[in-house]
Amino acid sequence: MMVDEACLNEALLAGAAEVFETMIFMDIRESVEQEQHPKGDTFLGSITFKGDMEGCLGICCSVSCAKAIARNMLGMTEADELGEAEIADAMGEVANMVMGSFKSRAQKTVGNLNVSIPTVVRGRALDASLGEHASRIVINVNIADEHTAELSLLYRQGSG
Amino acid sequence: MAKSIMIVDDSATMRKIIMKTVRAAELDIGETREAGNGAEALEKLKASAVDIMLCDINMPEMTGPELVKKVRELASCAKTKIIMVSTETAQGIVDDVLASGANGYISKPFTPEKFKEKLTPLLN
Repeated sequence: MMVDEACLNEALLAGAAEVFETMIFMDIRESVEQEQHPKGDTFLGSITFKGDMEGCLGICCSVSCAKAIARNMLGMTEADELGEAEIADAMGEVANMVMGSFKSRAQKTVGNLNVSIPTVVRGRALDASLGEHASRIVINVNIADEHTAELSLLYRQGSG
Repeated sequence: MAKSIMIVDDSATMRKIIMKTVRAAELDIGETREAGNGAEALEKLKASAVDIMLCDINMPEMTGPELVKKVRELASCAKTKIIMVSTETAQGIVDDVLASGANGYISKPFTPEKFKEKLTPLLN
């Protein structure tokens, strides 16, 4: 299967934009700066998929960005208490919804995909890996002109 | 008469968002219940049926379609309308969940308007 990387890139960014605008009420746009992987303490929400193509979609951002995302999703203010579990759950749902939105946009390119339950980890220098023979798309985005995040898509041809 | 509703999703965040969205849709909803998995949903439904169940598809242990089949075996839930709420948009999967006994489907991401459009016919 020939995969059009530009199509995947566009579907990932458009899918994430739809989720952030509709469910998180924050605008995102691709960063013009060549930023590095998020530094310091971060959350990584990821979801794997299998099918005509297999791989992993992830969103990685600082803890403060993850808190802002969770607060906006839940309609909370800065004064409301937000636990670690709530932040992680919100980041997992973001990965899940971005995956769904990406999948519906890229279906002609990627074919049928079965997705996993999302997973979330917190730590430093977090990165997903598929081992050898995998391609990687990374998009750095600005969120509400206050935060930055990294969208990533690792993929390779699947077993069908 | 206000309708009772149950939201079944393994994500507590998503349950809250769905509840918030249903409220924002200004539907005539009365009692609201939540369940974090299929087994919990079945226990609560056996104790007391609801008018509408909003159910995720991808859940650990018991998937949404598996739960729908079990709910359809409960005589007390014969009139319960089931709407799947999921990121799954593949037509094959949507067809499967409808064939398993669901009455409708709402894709994530969603808006209050989408809930109003799908739920209003069921509330009347």
